[in-house]
Amino acid sequence: MKLIDATFDKNVKPDDARPRLMVLMFVAFTIFAVLISRLWILQVMGGQKYMALAEGNYIRDLPIEAPRGLIFDRSGKVLVNNRPSIGITLSPPVAEKNPRIINRLAGILHISSSDIREKLAEKKADPLKPRVIARDIDDKTLAYIEEHKMGLPGVDVVTESIRSYPFGSLGAHVFGYLGEISQEEMQSKKNNGSYALGDIIGKSGAESVYEGLLRGQKGSEQIEVNASGRPLSIIKKQEPLPGSNLMLSLDLSLQQVTEQALKDAMQQARNTGTGAKANGGAAIVLDPRNGDVLAMASLPTYDPALFIGGISKKNWQQLIDKKTNFPLNNRAIMAYAPGSTFKPVTLIGALADGIIKTNDTFDCGGKWLGLGKKWARWCWDHAGHGTVGLTRGMAESCDVVFYSIGYKFYKTGGERLQYWARVFGIGSLTGIDLPMEAKGRVPDKQWKEKINDGNPEYQRWYPGDTVNIAIGQGDILATPLQMASLYAAIANGGILYRPHVGKAMISWDGNVKREFKLKPEDKRKLDISKDIIRFNQDALEKTVTQGTAAAAFSGFSTRVAGKTGTAQVRGKGDYAWFAGYAPVEEPRYVVVVMVEQGGHGGTIAAPAARKILAAAMGIPDRGAGYVNDLSR
Amino acid sequence: MINLIGINRKIDLTMLLSVILLCIYGAIAVFSATQSNASASGDQYFLLKKEILAMLIGFIALIVMTLGDYNRWKTYIVPLYILNIVLLMVVLAIGSSHKGAQSWFEIGSFQLQPSEFSKLILIVTLASFFANRRSQLDSIQDLGMSLLHVGIPLLLVLLQPDLGTALCYVAILLGMMLVAGFPARHFAILAIAGIIVVFCAVQFHVLQDYQLSRLTVFVNPDNDPRGAGYNLLQSKIAVGSGQFFGKGLFSGTQTRLQFLPERHTDFIFSVIGEEAGFIGAALLLILFLVLIVRGIRTAAYSKNMFGTLLAAGIVSLWLFQILVNIGMTIGLMPITGIPLPFVSYGNSSLMVHLMSVGILLNVYTRSYV
Repeated sequence: MKLIDATFDKNVKPDDARPRLMVLMFVAFTIFAVLISRLWILQVMGGQKYMALAEGNYIRDLPIEAPRGLIFDRSGKVLVNNRPSIGITLSPPVAEKNPRIINRLAGILHISSSDIREKLAEKKADPLKPRVIARDIDDKTLAYIEEHKMGLPGVDVVTESIRSYPFGSLGAHVFGYLGEISQEEMQSKKNNGSYALGDIIGKSGAESVYEGLLRGQKGSEQIEVNASGRPLSIIKKQEPLPGSNLMLSLDLSLQQVTEQALKDAMQQARNTGTGAKANGGAAIVLDPRNGDVLAMASLPTYDPALFIGGISKKNWQQLIDKKTNFPLNNRAIMAYAPGSTFKPVTLIGALADGIIKTNDTFDCGGKWLGLGKKWARWCWDHAGHGTVGLTRGMAESCDVVFYSIGYKFYKTGGERLQYWARVFGIGSLTGIDLPMEAKGRVPDKQWKEKINDGNPEYQRWYPGDTVNIAIGQGDILATPLQMASLYAAIANGGILYRPHVGKAMISWDGNVKREFKLKPEDKRKLDISKDIIRFNQDALEKTVTQGTAAAAFSGFSTRVAGKTGTAQVRGKGDYAWFAGYAPVEEPRYVVVVMVEQGGHGGTIAAPAARKILAAAMGIPDRGAGYVNDLSR
Repeated sequence: MINLIGINRKIDLTMLLSVILLCIYGAIAVFSATQSNASASGDQYFLLKKEILAMLIGFIALIVMTLGDYNRWKTYIVPLYILNIVLLMVVLAIGSSHKGAQSWFEIGSFQLQPSEFSKLILIVTLASFFANRRSQLDSIQDLGMSLLHVGIPLLLVLLQPDLGTALCYVAILLGMMLVAGFPARHFAILAIAGIIVVFCAVQFHVLQDYQLSRLTVFVNPDNDPRGAGYNLLQSKIAVGSGQFFGKGLFSGTQTRLQFLPERHTDFIFSVIGEEAGFIGAALLLILFLVLIVRGIRTAAYSKNMFGTLLAAGIVSLWLFQILVNIGMTIGLMPITGIPLPFVSYGNSSLMVHLMSVGILLNVYTRSYV
């Protein structure tokens, strides 16, 4: 062995390896140079970037939802409240990895796994954000979940503040419901605070109009998490700022009475054969002195609690189904033919324009032949009223009187009747602080041309068109709210207020109360002489004492003025209306009741208004009893 | 001082000192990397204690390796080679599996990894094999025999499968071939053969897709930040966020909050980069460079080719492991399970590298006798 070694050593000396070792040395230095420069790039040049990434790794910014402001009635009773709810959340990515968790959870929570999947699949929010899949968990279930947490990855228990509605569906159309913010809403609210996908916002009613006030300011929590996302400690915490509370002009007990009266009226309409289909209606109580909405009812209604945590597909389908008659619609601000409740506009306008005098008389033979025999128009009383003055004409709602006035309007030209309708606010928004208000419609020549574009034979404006408007029929449309504010103007001597449901803002701690003041543009003085309005007021009081509403108000202990209406709608039953106010000597309440396909105003709407007025004024009243008034 | 220099001529104190510093550095890093997760299971010093025990055993082995004349080892080429093969076969048969590779012997709470030891055995047998050649090592037979020499253990570790060790074998072979004086054309042949092997491995799916993606993801980890790229991305974040001065010892958020995978073994350098910053990482690299330079110096001053080749093999192994391990934590190299010598946690690895230092010291000492 030694020999071989010696031989080799003679042939190949380590010295020969030196140049090759230099190569190795060169390789070594190159490697170290590359590593060092890479470290320099990474740590010194890119250090700040990676520092930010590291912080992004372990610091999570979690928003803390701000409690939403409460909603009170005008005397401070809570109408919409918050309450804590213990819910179960599931993280979508974790559920995706462990699909079995869904079935397991469905079993524990006694809900269907397809419901869970539906909740997980909701696309609006951040796809990683845990979804609340069950609320108001009972203690037993909660204990079970806490105990088996290890076997339920991605499942968490959270406490949320959710809306509660102590009076159920009461006032639902005024309060509105909440829902997850939509893409469009995100866009439109961009400049308006920090909204994030998945946020809950007011979708309708006061909740949506006063969103900015009710919402408050989210807090945030910076927490340190480990690689598996488990929170370890709180680094920084900013408490949320609860939203301000909203005081509405509504009066809780009056709202209850109003809804009940409307419900009863509809029930009665269905019981009497005439209004068998009565399945929708609206009622409003307005303070004529300032435009406060004291009660606003719309039927059918819905339970806003259905929307908590996102409404289920099934429930939503039910709410927008024709069969349930669209309970989401606030009928108080939808447009209808006002029928005879419009007649005061015709009367006041004609007197103001001087085309009639207060002592004018008309002959009613049951029909009106002003446009020739071929175009005869019937009074509701086919027997005829005989010779009637304006007051009786109004009180008994004599159509012939108003056909005649309408025809005079036509003949004087200038679309003055439409002008007066507009003066009283028909055809434009009242500006109430509720979304989705309808403008109504004041038909005129221009409108008719436009609507019949392409059908020249229908474009002409006929005298009959004006005559129709004069009795609140034809193409004129007004919302119950417009009628309420119109009657308020009559009651208060000629001031048109912007009606409103919002009364005051109360800071979340209750210390600061800020009343919403009327702005100058919220109050419009009508340029109509006091005498004309007074004349009309008397006529309306006569309606209640001797006219079409007399039966409904017989024995009522306070002076009431008002007008019944029975609007004919093509293809449908008559719509029953009543609009009026009380007490006459110092009006504090305007009431409008409208029942779709309810039949006669005096039979169905006026008795409901009586109940409402009695409650508003605190009068013990046993009601009208059974009324059957076939007038308009 | 003068006396110290005198001693330094006899035993390489510079190398020894840098190795000791590297070991201390490693122990601190391992402790930092393991205290957070170990504390959950009770003893936060558990892994550190094992590491220090391995270090003590390693230093004893180091001293043993410096004793006697290394030239005598040359004669044991056949039994050593057989021992190597047997060890690798036995671990395949009865070793315990961990993370998909059957590479360990369990001895009490100690895990021994024969493939680590086999690297060192291979260096010795290969050095002996080259040194025993009479020729100038320029025939194709020389190349063939060398490939065969390395090929058998290489196949055995690939069966575990342990790609990292297999690559270390290749690095050892190349480094020692270079120093032994193989002609350039042999390297060219190897390069072409290598390309063909890699091509075939990819083409015929010898490598599973996940293995391939693990090897290639370093080019662009952002393509798969939650999958194959996760480790690398987290490692780069750790190292980069260390910035110039580091976040301070035991203060690395990536480390402490367990974003870093394999932080006490393969990714130990990320811990150092995060907590000690550029300064600390550069210091570590300088220690390694000192070690490498002293190793090459040892090779150069060896009195015989066997010593030169031993040193060259060890230096090549170190260089390769440093390059691949650090390179992978900073996105320069594919991610393969190759530990950082002296620093990564791993009993076998630590012992083997300390023994290697012993061998170098032995060669160094003899060169002045």
